[in-house]
Amino acid sequence: MLPSAGVYYFPWEINSSVPEGEALRTFGRLCCYDLARSEAVLIAQHSSAQYQVCVNTKFVEPFQAQLGSRYMVLGEAEHREGEGPVVKARILTCVEGMNVPLLEQAIQEQRKYQRERRRSWE
Amino acid sequence: MQSESRKYEEEETPSLHWGMDPVFFAFARLYIKDIKEMRESKQVPGIFFYNGHPVRQVDVVGMVVQMKERDAFYSYGVDDSTGVINCVCWKNPMVAETSSSGCPSTPSSLTVLEQMKKLQEMVSQKTKLAIGDVIRVRGQIRTYRQQREIRASCFYKVDDPVCNVQISRMLELPCLYREVYDKPFRGPGEGQSGLEGQTFAINVLHEKVKGFLLENKIQTFYQQELETIDMLVSLVVVHLPNLSCEEVKSKSNCSSKRIHGIFKQAIRILQEKGVVFQKPGSSEDLYHVTDHDKELLKVTLDVIKEDCKKPRHAEKGCHFLHILNCVRQSYNPSLTEVVMLRVLELLERNSDVVSTMEGYYMTF
Repeated sequence: MLPSAGVYYFPWEINSSVPEGEALRTFGRLCCYDLARSEAVLIAQHSSAQYQVCVNTKFVEPFQAQLGSRYMVLGEAEHREGEGPVVKARILTCVEGMNVPLLEQAIQEQRKYQRERRRSWE
Repeated sequence: MQSESRKYEEEETPSLHWGMDPVFFAFARLYIKDIKEMRESKQVPGIFFYNGHPVRQVDVVGMVVQMKERDAFYSYGVDDSTGVINCVCWKNPMVAETSSSGCPSTPSSLTVLEQMKKLQEMVSQKTKLAIGDVIRVRGQIRTYRQQREIRASCFYKVDDPVCNVQISRMLELPCLYREVYDKPFRGPGEGQSGLEGQTFAINVLHEKVKGFLLENKIQTFYQQELETIDMLVSLVVVHLPNLSCEEVKSKSNCSSKRIHGIFKQAIRILQEKGVVFQKPGSSEDLYHVTDHDKELLKVTLDVIKEDCKKPRHAEKGCHFLHILNCVRQSYNPSLTEVVMLRVLELLERNSDVVSTMEGYYMTF
């Protein structure tokens, strides 16, 4: 069985509205890593606010955590009581040096195209 | 748009016309979602239709999210963020048999072996992937146990540490879709007005008629005779919209008139090119084939031979217009320049005449 496609989410879109079990990919700077709890936190800036994405790293361990570096995560959203969702990582890659504005533009372009097409096919 | 996309769901382009769609020969860069949802051809399994375009092979870039090893191949699950598809990637037999047997030890062969070893290492690096790696796959789409997969004809690991390759592809695909894949492909004869189909038919037909006349060494013909040749008529029928074979066979008045008109126009093009011509006084529908009109060739050659004996033409030869004048007087007053030019080119090719300078011809 193949997993579902990891759809791009902006870090600031990862909140309680993400469906449980949704396969997604997102990115951010690694700000802390708790080896004992297998938990990492990615942070991202967006319009003067800072957003956090919690990542469960159980499936991708052992991994070399480079604090402060940019990471891309692909995994499933898992909701926890009283907190935001956790991304259960299947893939966690260091992408330090990535052109983030360009990636954001590419994601927007892809979404725009798919919206247009849905509308014209309806 | 709605009716259009429905239309494509119902009828597919006849396979005869697929080759006219450039997408058919390309590795289509489609979203994996589309590859999995495209409709398979009823005519030829293994060919798929995206928006009316016949797709034979695809090109995808994505992340390896699953990996299974078999004896002869790896099966990689590739995720491009729109969908996940299995890619069957054959193991490289060259890499498998790395230990070379009984190698000769001359220095030159040693370096060759070293180079080979390096190459094999490189190949194995590029073709052994792990989960999380970025892969590029080109290949054909197959259905295996009701699941679509890509049988790779070419695949390799993409070195993409800062996601440049993936980003540029994400930016590229929407343009490619808008410019190419989402624009419907229209085969000949599917044009809205039918006019395009007709022009196309005339163009194809005149080339075919020319070939037919020259190959079969035809000297004269009537238009009606051409219209009895199946090979030529079927060509017109294929390219004309709303014209079925039954109609042609039943000699429905309207369609046979159209065919007649197209033949007439094709012959007119050949006249303009000097391939065929008419003589005054003979039947209106009788055409002469320039290359095979022995009389015309002979008259032209005689004119040049005779006049080159005259002192004023002896040195330079005869000018084209002078020859044309003479031939018009003795052979056919309405002979056009293009026909004359074609005759002279033919004579020159056969070394019957020689062109001394631009527009002058002589014989020896």
